Amino acid sequence: MALLNTLLLLAAALCIPGLINRTRARLAGRKGIRFAQHLYDVRLLLRKGAVYSTTTTALFRTAPSVILGTSLVALLFIPAGDLPALVSFDGDVVAFAYLLALGRGALILAAMDTGSSFEGMGASREALYGALVEPALMLTFGTLALLSGHTSFAALFDAGAGDDAKLIIVLLLAAYVLTKIVFTESGRVPVDDPRTHLELTMIHEVMCLDYCGVDLAYIKIATWLKSAALSMLAADAVAAAVCQRWWFAAPLAVLLTGLSVGIVESTQARNKLVRNTTFILTITALAALVFFTGYLLQLNIGIQ
Amino acid sequence: MLFLYTLLFLVLVVAAIFMTPLRAKVWTALALTGAGALWATVRAVGVLAGATPQTLWTIPGTLFGGDTGSLDPLSALFVVLIAIGSVASILYSRGYLAHTLAEKSPAHVSLHYTSLTVMAYAMLGVVCSDGGLSFLFFWELMTVASFLLILYDAQRREVSRAALAYLIMMHIGFVLLVVGFVRLDAVCGSASFDALGTYFQTHSPLPLFVVFLAGFGMKAGLFPMHVWLPEAHPAAPSHVSALMSGVMIKTGIYGILRTTAALGDLPALRTAGAILLAAGIVTGLWGVILAALQNDVKRILAYSSIENIGIILLALGVAALGKAQGNELVALCGIVGALLHTLNHSFFKSLLFFGAGNILSQTHTTSLDQLGGLAKHMPLTAMLFLTATAAICALPPLNGFISELLVYLGLLDGIASGSNILPSAAALASLALIGGVAVLAFTKLYGTVFLGSPRSHEVAESTEVDNLRLAAMALPLAGILFVGLFPRAAVGCVTRAADFFLHTPSDAAGWLLSPTLASAGRIAWLLIIVVALLLWLRHRTLRGRNVVEGPTWGCGFTATNIRMQYTGESFSEGLQSIATSLTQESGEGSPVGKGEIFPDAHRFDIGHRDRIGRLFSAWWVELLRLINQRVMRLRTGKINHYVLFALAFLVLVFLLSILNVI
Repeated sequence: MALLNTLLLLAAALCIPGLINRTRARLAGRKGIRFAQHLYDVRLLLRKGAVYSTTTTALFRTAPSVILGTSLVALLFIPAGDLPALVSFDGDVVAFAYLLALGRGALILAAMDTGSSFEGMGASREALYGALVEPALMLTFGTLALLSGHTSFAALFDAGAGDDAKLIIVLLLAAYVLTKIVFTESGRVPVDDPRTHLELTMIHEVMCLDYCGVDLAYIKIATWLKSAALSMLAADAVAAAVCQRWWFAAPLAVLLTGLSVGIVESTQARNKLVRNTTFILTITALAALVFFTGYLLQLNIGIQ
Repeated sequence: MLFLYTLLFLVLVVAAIFMTPLRAKVWTALALTGAGALWATVRAVGVLAGATPQTLWTIPGTLFGGDTGSLDPLSALFVVLIAIGSVASILYSRGYLAHTLAEKSPAHVSLHYTSLTVMAYAMLGVVCSDGGLSFLFFWELMTVASFLLILYDAQRREVSRAALAYLIMMHIGFVLLVVGFVRLDAVCGSASFDALGTYFQTHSPLPLFVVFLAGFGMKAGLFPMHVWLPEAHPAAPSHVSALMSGVMIKTGIYGILRTTAALGDLPALRTAGAILLAAGIVTGLWGVILAALQNDVKRILAYSSIENIGIILLALGVAALGKAQGNELVALCGIVGALLHTLNHSFFKSLLFFGAGNILSQTHTTSLDQLGGLAKHMPLTAMLFLTATAAICALPPLNGFISELLVYLGLLDGIASGSNILPSAAALASLALIGGVAVLAFTKLYGTVFLGSPRSHEVAESTEVDNLRLAAMALPLAGILFVGLFPRAAVGCVTRAADFFLHTPSDAAGWLLSPTLASAGRIAWLLIIVVALLLWLRHRTLRGRNVVEGPTWGCGFTATNIRMQYTGESFSEGLQSIATSLTQESGEGSPVGKGEIFPDAHRFDIGHRDRIGRLFSAWWVELLRLINQRVMRLRTGKINHYVLFALAFLVLVFLLSILNVI
């Protein structure tokens, strides 16, 4: 069962970028690229050779493997609906967050390794936004721990809201916060725009400017995995409120992120960079608010 | 008798070190320290492995009702930490000081090595004495020794200033401790930490707790008494910074641990826990944000020490709150997290300061704006520094992650079990933010110093350091890897040291934590295997393909040069724009103005000073200067005046005793 869970997550990771592209194309009235185009792109990258900057060190060549490795291991913690995760222990939420942080640190250092001013710019922004979004993620885990009385992903969503309308509200709010975190962490509008290459306004894309071939493919796959893991968390929160089954949670993760990212990117402009900090701090404030709501409700109901 | 022995020992150390020839002084110091460290470690490991605690010395009936020294598991843990830190630091000093030996007088060098040896023994004395006079004695010996150690480059003005500020602040802390112990002695007739427990039960505990917290917090670098740290560390030689930051400030933590444990199960423990938690949050956040804004390697490291002290106190606060609520698991996670983080911090901070020493000795600067691209010239230093960087950011699979995992687990359990929901949530969010900003601070440090291209020609010509220094660095590295990769074994020892705080026997405690730790260890190995596999796959895929090298892609701009790299200052600019209220800008020169179409050469240097530091130096230094001026009036230089003062003093004592005041 745990293996099925991991396969589902991998499938979700592969589907989400496709759905985003299709949604965007539909909303813009274009024919658009095919659903699996991103897979073909990566296959192309895997066939290429590589060019490395003379400024770089071995760190630059190792970083993509570290980034993909952390995303892969982090993926193992996430349950899909009622399926058990491959790895589960008390405190795995912390391990998940810090594995993602390791991946982020590796990407930042790799960007600094090229000695390019553009990549330094992206690295600096990524470091700041990553730091600011961390409390939001932890507080959301805290909220779920408060509701469920457990500290591992497997049990976090087991609270099973049942019929309690108040709990359902908190879970849905937590899912909303998690979706916003997906936007930030996977570098989508309004925080970052993955479509604008070579502009001084972007974050994620500019950091892998000097990568090509296998390395770039690794980084791209790692980004998919990361957003799939976070999307699945958001979907799990919804599923815990509505219907805790894997056949509900897994498609929901794809739909939730695919549609919401696609719609936002078609209708909204990217933030000015100074507004990004405010945007992310708002997520943290929101997470704190959700936690507080959960706390008040818990006082009232007295769930253990 | 103890003091007599100590004096005898001091004379021996001084004689031995002063007599040996210049080049061999380091070996004498190493032999003297190493022997003591080895002896202490063997006994400490015995105690940690389950032997009964031993009494080391007993002094009947002197001041404070007699003194004893003993080695219980908590002391044993700190003994191990001190032994490793001191030996590594003396070993490192050989290569680091080698080029300065010619320009310093032999007496100067001897004094330095004597202080290093005495410092190590004084710290061992501090953690082994049960309180009272011997504790204060060793505490003061430690302060004086570290003061002398900072003064190695006394001819530099900022060094003597920083050392003096350090000495003054340490003595304010010392006075607080003396006040605490005297009060204790007055009430209980003894001034040991055991007596403190009795005092807390019979009197209102909070005032004395706060006095001790402030006294020990001064040494540990608790906010707002942290201001000496970022001044003293850049001024001291790097091996001394490593010793002070990695080991010495932990004695402050040791004192706070003992004081908190003395509170027992009293209702005040809850308040104390809240105070510690709040102090930890503020210290941690302040330290890490200021660390991210600094542009000097050693200042970043100094501020990050403050951050880590904050994390340790936060963990201790969690433990105290958990214990007060009767939640054993939370208390266990908190206290083990605090102890393990103390140990871990001594490992990675020593390693980082040694790395900073390598940078300084090979390039003669620690300014981020001058460095860059060192990884190519000093590959081994770069690798060691990277490991310590990842460890201090609490990234898996290294040791920092294990201790922070335990703290997080305590916080999440506090929330999940509903015992301390709001304080735990506040600490949870703060700890997450601290972790995030730490990643920013240390990627900035590593990225600007070791990666990219060299920003000055000294850096471009630097070479790797000697093997002995690298061997000294391998000592803390072994600790980092051991705790990170075998967390269950490492935490086993620490759990025994946590006995002093908990009701749970350590076996049961170890059993409670073992599922999480075993999984954390497995995750570490899994991560390593997965990454290795991916690297192999990448290597296989690229085999036979066309792999070439070229310049960094300049986005179409062809005239890029080294000065266009991202600097440390620009890296943290985003954070600076949020955290303006914490710092005061100090700038030299002027940036290129907006109207200048063809700008000529500009020199512009910006720094971010600690607002608290400014606040302190502004008023109390001025106050001290004023008092000093008044006192100086008494120093007339005439014998008859001095005789008069002596007479006046005698009359005063006479009058006071007649009036039964004393």
